[in-house]
Amino acid sequence: MPALSLPRSFRPGLTLGGLIDGRGFDTLLVMTALGYLAVFSAWPLVYNLIMSLQEVDLFSLASFDRPFVGLGNYRDVLGAPEMPQIFRNTAVFVAASVSLQLAIGFALALFFELRFPGASFLRGLFLAGWIMPPLVVGAIWSWILAGDFGVLNYALKSLGIIDENIFWLSDPARSLWSVIIANIWLGVPFNLILLSVGLAGIPEDLYEAAEMDGATRVQRFFTITLPLMRAQLGAVISLGTIFTLQQFDLFAGLTQGGPSNSSNVMQYWSWQLSFQEYQIGLGSVISVLMIGVVVGLAAIYVRSTRHEQVY
Amino acid sequence: MGLNKTAKAALLATSAGLLPLAAAAEQTVLDLWTIDDPGEYHYVLAKEFEEANPGIKINVRTVQFGDMINDLARAIAAGDAPDVTYVDNPEVALLAARGLLLDIAPMIEDSDIVNRDDIFPGPLSSVTWKDGIYGLPRGANTIALYYNADMFRAAGLDPDAPPATWAELKAAAEALSDPDDNVYGLAFSAIATEEGTFQFLPWLQMAGGDYDHVDTEGGAEALAFWKSLLDAKLASPDTLIRSQWDSTATFNAGNAAMAISGPWELPRMAKEATFDYRAAMLPVPEAGATRASALGEGDNVILASTNHPAEAFRFLEFLYAQMPRVWNEFGYLPAAEVAVENPENEAIYRVFEESMKYARNRGPSPEWPQVSKAIQGAMQSALTGQATPEEALATAQGKIDRVLD
Repeated sequence: MPALSLPRSFRPGLTLGGLIDGRGFDTLLVMTALGYLAVFSAWPLVYNLIMSLQEVDLFSLASFDRPFVGLGNYRDVLGAPEMPQIFRNTAVFVAASVSLQLAIGFALALFFELRFPGASFLRGLFLAGWIMPPLVVGAIWSWILAGDFGVLNYALKSLGIIDENIFWLSDPARSLWSVIIANIWLGVPFNLILLSVGLAGIPEDLYEAAEMDGATRVQRFFTITLPLMRAQLGAVISLGTIFTLQQFDLFAGLTQGGPSNSSNVMQYWSWQLSFQEYQIGLGSVISVLMIGVVVGLAAIYVRSTRHEQVY
Repeated sequence: MGLNKTAKAALLATSAGLLPLAAAAEQTVLDLWTIDDPGEYHYVLAKEFEEANPGIKINVRTVQFGDMINDLARAIAAGDAPDVTYVDNPEVALLAARGLLLDIAPMIEDSDIVNRDDIFPGPLSSVTWKDGIYGLPRGANTIALYYNADMFRAAGLDPDAPPATWAELKAAAEALSDPDDNVYGLAFSAIATEEGTFQFLPWLQMAGGDYDHVDTEGGAEALAFWKSLLDAKLASPDTLIRSQWDSTATFNAGNAAMAISGPWELPRMAKEATFDYRAAMLPVPEAGATRASALGEGDNVILASTNHPAEAFRFLEFLYAQMPRVWNEFGYLPAAEVAVENPENEAIYRVFEESMKYARNRGPSPEWPQVSKAIQGAMQSALTGQATPEEALATAQGKIDRVLD
């Protein structure tokens, strides 16, 4: 690309000229990106880490002069009586949400690959769930799942499946699963779209050749589709896990983590500690622990996208 | 300081030949934060105050109830806190203990309008921290037992003799509950939020306990009593996750025969409830037992960082002087001994007015949210059967002791 031809008077020496077409410009671009990352990503992470070692409340957020408690906050969080339950809930929430989102999303993606009339229109409709704000989704699901006057109970009763109302949200044995159901519904479109894109990228002739060689549908799925979808599956699983660990609004809208922490998860607990009890140091501890998990997942994601192939 | 500023402004104005500006420069501007929407208490009264005090302008800003403390903390850190704000009453201690509020006790001493002895003990305790007074209640509210008199008659109960003790309450709930018709005996809220604490604390206090002393025999009895209501399906299992407002909606719709809630329900009840509804004081453990009731609503406070303490206090005095109007115009109970003329819903008003005498403050504790959370935890773990009431309260006591010492 030819360098911009500026009048000599506008090119005072090396600096500006260097900025426009030389190494300086590259450096500037890199520094901008690095500066952005440092201010908006690295600094909050470090700040969060510092806060997790201090006793912080809302009113000491802006100053550094706060009592240093070392690992005391970590001991408090990990030793809290509700910790095992909340940790277990988080694991169940993530595992169930991600695996079922993936199974349903993959099944639907394969289904819409059949290209029947209206397939792309119907696939578009599935996006509805994805574009709705999660808080709204939470409100709608709370009407559906309400115990005494819920839509679901009414439907099940009318169909004669149940005799007595099921208290989806206030029964401690069910509350977590109610949030999981809503979260699966919310996450399926994302899985569907990403996996559809992957499926569309697999060349048709591979299937044709396999079919001529006498491979059955199931064989074709396991020997062609699945291996070639490896990168997409890796991406969907790791991104899905990260999104699920971020899921907050559904908890706020449906159960607020209750009753009695039966549907509480780490991310919601962190918010409760920071912004309801104003124990920001404790909330930060959970953030730090979760960031560790997310960084690990992000590494898997980055590795899996490296395997993406072009045909 | 004020004079000095005015003089300077006048000098500047004359020298520039801009006389009209001088009048504007004399005006003091107070920033007021509120949880009200336009048309409600602070907006209406700020306007009236401005009309009566042309030298003071009030900038009113609405902040969501749940965001008030977070937003205040941010504003204080950034140095642009309001001069006057509304805070929910358990949060006065939280702010006062950190030196963020102005102690107005000396100003009250000199005031012709505010007499601290007129303020009811509950609301007075809510604005008191150590030896100072850090705000004035704008009104108060408390909870009582609403009941559907038509259902009482239909069930053969006397609507003129509502349940007065816990045992009578349970018996009435049993008589009134009708699962086939989707009617629960009682609606209340045991949600794991401040509202749950608000509803449970009076029961604990009646049975001999308080926010700092929850692990008592009476406390366990109170919790066991609540659990027995849920176990017998006299109240909906959703009581655990339903706010007071949503619980009372089921009463208004005829799906609960009694409901425990406050006076803020009345405007909606007048619209939605198509039956003869009445109110009674909260039932007590047994005849003759100590009464207690919850204390709600909040206070007008002055931030310590204000540049206009005198004007801000004049505004607080003005608001306080409107106490006789709060019931009819804004739906709160007076927080002080004042005469309310022609109260609306008079029979219900009298019940709440009487209950106010027993309304106790939540706290005071500068770490109230943590104390409250411990109480909510006890409530919910006992009601879901994860712990016995005794175990649940002992756990809560452990947490509270750690917070308070």
